Amino acid sequence: MNPALAGVALAVVIGAVVAASAHRARTAILGLIVTFVGAAAVADPPAEALGLAARLVGALLAGYLLWIATRGHNVRTAGSRVGWPTEAFVAAAAAVVGYGSHGLGAPAAGPALASAVGFALAAVAVLPVVTGRDILRVGLGLALLLSGALLVRTGIGGTPDAFEEVLTAILIATLGGAVAVLASAAQSDGPGGFEMSEATPHRPSHAGEAPPARAR
Amino acid sequence: MTALPFVIVAGLAAAFALAIRSRPPTSAVVALLGLVACVGLAFAIQPGQVSTLNGGGLATTDYQQRFLILASLVSLGLAIAGLAAGTRRDAPAVSLAVLAAVGLTIGLVDPRAAVLVATTGGLFVVILTLVPGGARAGATVGIREARAVVVAGGLAIAAAAWIGRDLRELDAQPVVFGLAYLAMATAVAMRFGAIPFHLWAARLADVVPETALPIVTVIAPAALAVVALGWIDVMVVPRPVDLGIERLLVIAVALVTIVLAAVAAFVQDDLEHVLGYAIVSDAGVIVLALAVLEPTAGAPARTWILAFIVGRSAFAAWAAGIRTGLWTGRVADLRGWVRRSPILAAAFVVIAVAGVGFPGLAAYDARRTLVDLALDPPFSTIVLIATLAPIAYYARLFVIGVAPPDQILEAGSGWGPQFQPMGGTGLRRWLATNWAHNRGFTTAIVAAALAVLAILTSAGLFEGR
Repeated sequence: MNPALAGVALAVVIGAVVAASAHRARTAILGLIVTFVGAAAVADPPAEALGLAARLVGALLAGYLLWIATRGHNVRTAGSRVGWPTEAFVAAAAAVVGYGSHGLGAPAAGPALASAVGFALAAVAVLPVVTGRDILRVGLGLALLLSGALLVRTGIGGTPDAFEEVLTAILIATLGGAVAVLASAAQSDGPGGFEMSEATPHRPSHAGEAPPARAR
Repeated sequence: MTALPFVIVAGLAAAFALAIRSRPPTSAVVALLGLVACVGLAFAIQPGQVSTLNGGGLATTDYQQRFLILASLVSLGLAIAGLAAGTRRDAPAVSLAVLAAVGLTIGLVDPRAAVLVATTGGLFVVILTLVPGGARAGATVGIREARAVVVAGGLAIAAAAWIGRDLRELDAQPVVFGLAYLAMATAVAMRFGAIPFHLWAARLADVVPETALPIVTVIAPAALAVVALGWIDVMVVPRPVDLGIERLLVIAVALVTIVLAAVAAFVQDDLEHVLGYAIVSDAGVIVLALAVLEPTAGAPARTWILAFIVGRSAFAAWAAGIRTGLWTGRVADLRGWVRRSPILAAAFVVIAVAGVGFPGLAAYDARRTLVDLALDPPFSTIVLIATLAPIAYYARLFVIGVAPPDQILEAGSGWGPQFQPMGGTGLRRWLATNWAHNRGFTTAIVAAALAVLAILTSAGLFEGR
């Protein structure tokens, strides 16, 4: 096993655990940035320079947009209800499963570590994505899930070419931007932070409404 | 010419229109010009060319050109209808971004790259869920849409990667094959909001204006469906693997979606929800196409996708026309709408005929072929009859439309153009006044134009190859 690759893989998992469990929004975002940046490097052979650079830019852009959306004093997100040790154990268990099932039934073209980290990220993402009631937390979970899927893809399919890395970077930046826009909108809508709304939005489509005057 | 100029122009116009979104009129003009340029560039595409992009390939096909022509035309129509009927100010720009993503998605040779772009295109649309005055509620719907897009993207990425490698030394077939196939089919079903993944899709109709709904739930997911169909054709069909159980699951999802979504559309009280569920119901046929693991399924499936895009977009424009002209979207309040708007009445009939179809119409034949390929008699006959369920909600809307109006028609509230004299107020004010007076007429004309396009598409003018 390549020790440098193992170190990067460990950093990616630690970043994911922080992103999924931290209650301070910007701490969680820092964890996510570490995951995004490190995930691009978990490949053997390493991606081409252009691809790596694109992934770095995409990761930083996504992180920056989320950082802007969490402007303010001590902005908090829901964080993990089960605590970071539990998240870490979940990640570790999933990593073992990913490492053991590397290739998923056929010889793989990428490193087993990528599969291990991909499974770990996907496992850590499950709780925020499925049970999250906080827009930022769900968004962080989605980012971890996407990174996990991309790592599994690297593990079984090998290192993506530069073009695919550029497309991946655009996807990551777009996801960061989308979550940032949604989180920012929720936070600006009165007290409640990033909490999801219980109410269904009112649609002014019934009799008696005024005619549409201008674009909404 | 390849599709690359189309993708670049659409992407740049979207970025520019979003960058100047604080000036809505200018942003709208830029986006409309971008959409017009996209229509022209789509017509200029020459099939059969391949561009190499630093490791990736972008192929230009006949079907891609037809898809982009139709998607650009309906996006332009919906943008104009949206400006007249009232929509999100970012809707035309988002349409452009989706068109750029769609152009790239369908053209990419490697499905592993294509699913990445399809997922990116799905994420662009969440901006349309933000509701002025209800940002939290809109953002809640938006993050659920993003959740569906990313989960579907994750499944598609994993599936494409698993089969997209050297599989000569398989350790565990065919179970993993089945899982990969199921993951891709689930991804497409999720993106369309097929039952049982429909709850978030239903909420979308609460926040996304009618004219923008097809961008979110029709055009963007359709690109992923095209990729999935191609992927199944090339990666799954040629392999001698028994996928019986997986196929049955996909067929079950498709049938439940076709029938129950049509029933849901029939019972809805709001036009927006009727439209939303009508889209989901028709998308069920696309999910059914994924269950046909035969090379002959590709052509009818692609034909149906084109008819689906144009037909549902025309229906959306019609719904916007009704809301603009009658100031309501509640079905119970639409008594007499046929008498009030002959243009929308004619458009509605054409849309219904294009959507339901009849033997000899390319879209109908494509649907029948897919059903016949997916199921054996007598189930295929039963399912074919079930696919005619949209007749119920079309009939309901029409019956309400021909009922006596529940209020006296105002003189001068007709549906013809109303031009005001120029006077001494200047050209700009004159244009603004006339635009304001003709919102209903404009939307009705767009609906009629898209209805004609829908029937032409259903008739096979743009039949996929």
